[in-house]
Amino acid sequence: MKLFKFSQSRSLWMMHFCTGCGAVELPPTMTSRFDMERFGIMPMATPRQSDLLLITGYLTIKTLKRVVRAYEQMPTPRYVIGFGSCTINGGMYWDSYNVIKKLELYIPVDLYINGCMPRPEAIIDAFLKLREMIAKGEANAWKKYIENYEWYKKNQSEVFDVEKWSVKK
Amino acid sequence: MTQEEKIKKDIETTFGELVNVNIQREKRVRVNAPKNMVLPILAYLKQRGFHQFTLLTCVDWINDGEFELVYNLYSLSYNVHVLISTRIKRDTETMPTAINVYEMAFDYEREIHEMFGVVFEGHPRLDEFLLEDWKGIPPMRKDFDTRKYVEEKFGVKDLTKELFTRKEQPYRGPGSNG
Repeated sequence: MKLFKFSQSRSLWMMHFCTGCGAVELPPTMTSRFDMERFGIMPMATPRQSDLLLITGYLTIKTLKRVVRAYEQMPTPRYVIGFGSCTINGGMYWDSYNVIKKLELYIPVDLYINGCMPRPEAIIDAFLKLREMIAKGEANAWKKYIENYEWYKKNQSEVFDVEKWSVKK
Repeated sequence: MTQEEKIKKDIETTFGELVNVNIQREKRVRVNAPKNMVLPILAYLKQRGFHQFTLLTCVDWINDGEFELVYNLYSLSYNVHVLISTRIKRDTETMPTAINVYEMAFDYEREIHEMFGVVFEGHPRLDEFLLEDWKGIPPMRKDFDTRKYVEEKFGVKDLTKELFTRKEQPYRGPGSNG
């Protein structure tokens, strides 16, 4: 089990959901200057192949529908990092009518990176922290989604039509 | 005579007393016109060299009970902007569509219909555009209370207090101690 956690924490495949302006900080993080692949973190194209979902920036209601769908397709254990102040309290869109304010009401979040925008150093710091949390067995937000599924669905249904947007079996 | 003055003179001689033309600054001419004169002015300016329909915007003058529609045109050959402004009553009046003159107006009119609720007569597709499943009054109107809407919709009880005060333990969803 220890070995399992160790290896899991060192081979995170990441899907960055480029919702907002945060996406511009990721190319330098991925490429040779900051080089996140030395920590075993690699960008991945689809949610079904990835462990880590990065919500980079503000989420409009329209995007949230797609994020929830992507999140539900990810295999467990899955981790979510909220990126920038927009995912914490709406950031500069705090009184906007179409941007959600608290990401954790709709999907569970393991870790937040503060800042508008966070620098690549901060992103790498968050990855290291997440790695530590996984190794200790603390990154369990995905269990919360399964246990409190009704609660999350209730919150989601307040902003959009869940029935219409759920993955059909 | 500068290019702007020529354009001003031409519009004034063509449309006479009905419109009010003034040169706001270099490269910018503003035309205030009644509702029924907008399409003739657009058609006239298009054949005079204003081939680019840059933008159609709307301003909500709620105290006057009016919407101001501003058609922005630009000419590459003269390097001049022309703004054609007209005012319509907020809830009772409609506006004839401009897509027969400038096809570019199609999406702008859809957007303004969605954001302000202005009805463009003759527009073939005034349905859902940028917003999905929007209910209630259009969001860009001045009588739309954004903060109240946010507090009701996004689960925030008091906007300024809840989002900007620091708590000892951040709230982490159900089943946590925070």
